[in-house]
Amino acid sequence: MNDSLWLVVPVAQRAAGDWIDDTLAARAAEKGLTGRLDLAGRFPRRRVEVIRSADPVAQCNALYLRRGWTDGLPIVPPAIARVDDMLRFSARPREAVLGEMEPLAGLATVERVAANAVMAGCRPEYFPVVLSAVEAILAPEFNLRGVQTTDENVTPLLVVCGPIAQRLGVNGGFGALGPGWQANASIGRALRLVMHNLGGGWPAAVSLAGLGQPARYTLCLAENTAQSPWEPLHVELGLKPEDNAVVVQRAESVVNVTGGLEEIASVMGSLASAFSLLHGGRPAVLLAPYVAARLAAAGLGKAEVKRRLHQLGRIPVEQWRRSWLARELIRAERWPDWVKQAAEQGAIPAVESPEDITLVVAGGDLAIAQHAYLPSWGFPSARIVKPIELPADWAAMLAEGTRP
Amino acid sequence: MLRVSAAAEAAGVPSASLVCEGFVGQAATTSVGLGMPNLPLAKVPGHVDVQTPDELRANVLNVTLPEVIRHLLNDPAPAVLDKDPPPDEIVFEGGFEEVNRFFYENGWSDGLPIVPPTVEKIGEFLRFTELAPEHKLGTLLPDNRAATVWNVAINGVMAGCRPEYMPVLVALAEALADPAYGVEHSGNTPGAETLAIVNGPIVRELDFNYLQGALRDGFQANTAIGRFFRLYLRNVAGFQLHKNDKATFGGTWRVAMAENEAVLRKIGWPTVAADMGLEAGANAVTIARYTGGDVIVSVYGDSAERMLPYLAEAVTRMNGWQLIFTVGIAQGTLRPLLVLSPILAETIARSGYGKADVKRYLFEHARLPARQFEAYYGQYTNLYPAKRSLNELVRLGRAHPVFAQSDDPGRLVPLVEEPEQFMIAVSGDPLRTNAYTFAHNGMLGFPTAKKIRLPRDWTALLRQARAR
Repeated sequence: MNDSLWLVVPVAQRAAGDWIDDTLAARAAEKGLTGRLDLAGRFPRRRVEVIRSADPVAQCNALYLRRGWTDGLPIVPPAIARVDDMLRFSARPREAVLGEMEPLAGLATVERVAANAVMAGCRPEYFPVVLSAVEAILAPEFNLRGVQTTDENVTPLLVVCGPIAQRLGVNGGFGALGPGWQANASIGRALRLVMHNLGGGWPAAVSLAGLGQPARYTLCLAENTAQSPWEPLHVELGLKPEDNAVVVQRAESVVNVTGGLEEIASVMGSLASAFSLLHGGRPAVLLAPYVAARLAAAGLGKAEVKRRLHQLGRIPVEQWRRSWLARELIRAERWPDWVKQAAEQGAIPAVESPEDITLVVAGGDLAIAQHAYLPSWGFPSARIVKPIELPADWAAMLAEGTRP
Repeated sequence: MLRVSAAAEAAGVPSASLVCEGFVGQAATTSVGLGMPNLPLAKVPGHVDVQTPDELRANVLNVTLPEVIRHLLNDPAPAVLDKDPPPDEIVFEGGFEEVNRFFYENGWSDGLPIVPPTVEKIGEFLRFTELAPEHKLGTLLPDNRAATVWNVAINGVMAGCRPEYMPVLVALAEALADPAYGVEHSGNTPGAETLAIVNGPIVRELDFNYLQGALRDGFQANTAIGRFFRLYLRNVAGFQLHKNDKATFGGTWRVAMAENEAVLRKIGWPTVAADMGLEAGANAVTIARYTGGDVIVSVYGDSAERMLPYLAEAVTRMNGWQLIFTVGIAQGTLRPLLVLSPILAETIARSGYGKADVKRYLFEHARLPARQFEAYYGQYTNLYPAKRSLNELVRLGRAHPVFAQSDDPGRLVPLVEEPEQFMIAVSGDPLRTNAYTFAHNGMLGFPTAKKIRLPRDWTALLRQARAR
């Protein structure tokens, strides 16, 4: 006896009506990926597909994997009912187009974003956050085309700000970068699947990141506002404490640092992230609450911490001159003026200005503190703040509960 | 406007089309139909009509202008249009409810149950035309899809038509594809609905209702053929709400209206089809788009002279903003329709009035003061922003001379340019003294008539079909 699954096709059409999968299938064939993606481009060209099988969930997963529609992990089939549950958490019509998603210019409609959010394992109430995150990466200054196609391993960093973070259980404390929290895991994953299925960022076919990185599965957290001595990130960026927003920027990797500002600065001033000097960019520092509290007790505000990091985290110019990048890849005149000027003074900071550093208090409050440094990549410098639009009856909808 | 941009781009001239925010989606879909899916659009945030000059200026400088510059400096990406599946592909197998859900979810249905268009059922329809299934009746924008006998049959099946309606359906598709009709405008914001008027012996042969309740659902031919038309617009032309059908309100599709030809013959008036230039007695359909209408109740009197003032007054009231289709952005395209019940038509005819005389009467008496006419195009709306008077427009050759017969702003001017631009039909309850006046959406295109072509063995086929 066969069961049926009625699924919203989760991949994108361009404004012309054609499907980006045709381009992807061609690229996959050129790159010799058709062994793994043997059904690339082979799917019904319509809004809804019906899968009939004794085990349609397994069948859906098998088909989607072979069509190139997943990140390699199992997905939740984007059944119409689940997509509709998701859509109820947005006031926008399902056909509304958020934008054309680079590099293949797939139309990110609200409904197709919802389908990918279902696949990622999002709960319906996460959907407003997912939509804002998608809007953030569609902002021109995010340079999604670059992020999707570069040989660098860059990925969006997503910080969920405001009271919504706690309401949805977005973790900013112990283990904020995972694993273990559904919101962190699935919201970041939804953004990746959207980039993959609506923008066409297929690894090794269109996305030519040398290694990729685990954070390309998900990189989403909240700030540990309860234990932060300072104003929350979104307030620092001009919003009100009660506002909800996502802050999105480009992250090249996640480098763990144990210790204090000196240790963080040492990583910032290392050659490992010197490539980003070329374009500028905005790195992030995830600062442990224990260290933050100590700094605040010593009278330091966020701006002063950033200034210290900028001051301490510098690459000695001799080291920089000997670097492979400087010797082999980048002609001297291509380095930005501020880098050349800093070099004349003996050391080059990680970024042009202290304000370019995004400081987020996150993680557990252990005295042996664990921080992370997330160097950036690419131009222009981007730190995108997108307010989160909640449905009018949000509180009631949350209270009512949704399916897991 | 997009058509101009498409022509410019085709000629190698860079373009940027300014589009208000709410219309960007429609513009994108429309440009697909123009064969230039990547036509460069420059967004104007919000809607210009409700912005102050300062807001508009800021929006244009900050958002629109950079896009215009970008578009003028870059070539649009080449067109890659997606292809439909082969026409005979079985797209789905399943039970009645599953088929309905599948069609609905994929945007192929209007929300009511459809009759599943099986190959067998399509075949029954195809027997009622001598045209080959792949015969192309025309091309329909915005999807730029061919109207074929095959897809006419499919949508006819879905709409709940009987196979013998097929000749009417083919004629409707031909009318839809006639450039004069302007199918590509069917998604505009006033949201007109098409009325199909049926003439000829086929009215009786297919059991169209042309008597009491002629504009209400309840008779299969009227109802299903009306529904077919809207499904065809959806599935072949490609009009979908929230995409390229921008009707602000819209309305349900109209049932087809058949004329009472026995009464017309008796009083010696031509049918609508004959007025449209087709031979008298021919089977024909005439289609036109109306945004609304109203019934004119209890027309009292024993002569044309007693009845016509009320009718003229009602027709005048029905035409407000629509006057911009007489003078304005679509000069001379307004075609108001008046439907008379048989008893009204007979009484008027008894006074010696032919149909042309009634049109002449409406032209001379359905009038309003020139200053009010000017307010509709120049003051209440901004649809003709130049703010010129009727007299100025006539002097510029942009209005018919009938609108400049004196300088008196209180002079009475007609609704249309000449009497023949009124349309009159006869249908409805034969013994009730009511009429109906329709508000025509003129600029979309002209009323369009097509002859209905019957298969050679029509009578025998019809007898067989009715015996089933």
